[in-house]
Amino acid sequence: MPDYAFIDHLSDIGIEVKAGSPAELFENAALGMFSIMYDLKDVEAKEKEEISVKGKKGTDIEELLVSWLEKLLYVFETRKVLLCKFEITGIEVVKTIKYVNAFIYGERINLSRNKFYTAVKAPTYHMLEVKRSAKAGGKWTARIIFDV
Amino acid sequence: MAGYNLKKISDFKWEIVKNIDLGMRVPGIIYADRELLEIAQEEKTLDQVINVAKLPGVINASFAMPDIHYGYGFPIGGVAAMDLEDGVISPGGVGFDISCGVRILRTNLSAEDVAKKLEEIIYNLFASIPKGIGSKGRIKLSKTEMDKVFTQGINWAIKSGYGWEEDGYFTEENGCMEGANPDYVSKEALGRGNDQVGSLGSGNHFIEIQKVTEIYNTTAAHVMGLELNQAAIMIHSGSRGLGHQICGDYLKVMQRSNFSNKINLPDRQLACAPINSPEGKRYYGAMVCAINYAMVNRHCLAHWVRRSMETVFGKSDRKLDLSLIYDVSHNIAKIESHDIGGQVKKVCVHRKGATRAFGPGRSEIPPAYKEIGQPVIVPGDMGRYSYIMTGTRAAMLESFGSTCHGAGRLMSRTRARKEIDSGKLKKDLSEKKGILVLAASLGGLAEEAPQAYKDVSKVVEVTHKAGLSEKVARLEPMGVIKG
Repeated sequence: MPDYAFIDHLSDIGIEVKAGSPAELFENAALGMFSIMYDLKDVEAKEKEEISVKGKKGTDIEELLVSWLEKLLYVFETRKVLLCKFEITGIEVVKTIKYVNAFIYGERINLSRNKFYTAVKAPTYHMLEVKRSAKAGGKWTARIIFDV
Repeated sequence: MAGYNLKKISDFKWEIVKNIDLGMRVPGIIYADRELLEIAQEEKTLDQVINVAKLPGVINASFAMPDIHYGYGFPIGGVAAMDLEDGVISPGGVGFDISCGVRILRTNLSAEDVAKKLEEIIYNLFASIPKGIGSKGRIKLSKTEMDKVFTQGINWAIKSGYGWEEDGYFTEENGCMEGANPDYVSKEALGRGNDQVGSLGSGNHFIEIQKVTEIYNTTAAHVMGLELNQAAIMIHSGSRGLGHQICGDYLKVMQRSNFSNKINLPDRQLACAPINSPEGKRYYGAMVCAINYAMVNRHCLAHWVRRSMETVFGKSDRKLDLSLIYDVSHNIAKIESHDIGGQVKKVCVHRKGATRAFGPGRSEIPPAYKEIGQPVIVPGDMGRYSYIMTGTRAAMLESFGSTCHGAGRLMSRTRARKEIDSGKLKKDLSEKKGILVLAASLGGLAEEAPQAYKDVSKVVEVTHKAGLSEKVARLEPMGVIKG
């Protein structure tokens, strides 16, 4: 089960994400973001696409997370696909040049069938945090607020 | 944030005393009565007002309008003017929805005329206006056409057959702001925006048929062509995916800049660059593209509103007098001339969830409104009121000619989703208030419920008493379409 929860923010919506690894964290963050917009259970993984996001020198893990989510929003809006599954195939969060590569799955938007909640405009940097706990087996957590 | 000192200046003006230990370069000024101030304190919005007061080059104060509430980086309802030489420009001080704004069309129809055909109007608009998540726009543009939208603003739209020629006179910046540079707009932003011109969006965007239920200033109302019981149409939308992407792109650019690495940003969302730096200039050029795009967006939406009304009433838009009263933006940064200590100086005014409210005599406002001041449109929630106000000379001296933009939220979206049933909300609005609401996303409607917002009447009253704007008319919703 993906581990994320909505958090209260007065004007927007945020998520808190937990995971056992950076890859799982990024996958769960993507699932959390799209669950703001629609019910993931209503979407089938019929189409597959490969994407990669690469940071520049000085990109930290928080910015990489934002860039990853921005890229997914771009695919959603421009290709008109609902995304429901994310499989990270490669991720680097420590070295200077950070990156994430993934297969993403979903299906074409069908307005006669799909029901939507709230549109996400963008991930913000407000209260943005990615941490690895020294306790609890090194669990990864992230908090991100979205402009909706 | 502990350690700030709040001082009462008047019943509607408070000062967060400048505190160097907190890193403040200027004081914070909040226009609010005690009740609105206490809400802002509880929400910790004043922390955000203080954070803006720390930005390099901020002049006079970090301002908070009466609808102030907690945002991200800048508070919503925040205003800050920056020195052009040593001040910064901040994408977060403009917002992701660059030039989100609102326009109002008058009609020569009475509320009764509209009531007889309300269902037909609303269903026609719902069918004709692109809106909501995943919807396709009616206009898809090539790169060449997008560049024209960026550099020509609504002049492109008029040449392309949308709207009336005189609409430009009644739009801020005459419908085309100078300084757009398409070279600074990323391909991702172009990709998101090229099929969204003339689309409403979702969330708090709307098109609303309204009736005028009170006139406070008969002279100003007469000049604007507003009278009691008249029907009007309000449109609230912005720069769509294009603006969202531009903001995101430049937040990254500025965070990576040497400047950002040197200053201690209290919130990453406040990432900024000197206005005169390469990063600052590029953001400004891209931001103006988004501003012109947003004005074109609302212009095209108004075009289709006019077409719908023609279909329903069987008369031309001219015969229905569907003329534009005014169009304002409330997420924007502008280079403006202001009196600072007796000298006229150009500054960069950030308005994040705040509206320009220039007073009588300003050259930037249409000749028709020079004597009364610039119209200010203040939309409320879908169950209560919206207001038309005018800018004042006092606002020019107090807040760099700025005022409120809406009601401000009272309840978070997650709490609204849990506590409010969208279906019941829609039914109650219809049965108890006769307001017909059609929403593309019933699931998102709860977040826009009246009880999720502050009472805009209260915000407008405080704004009026603080002298930032004067009340002209109050309008009530009759029918609403949402994405």
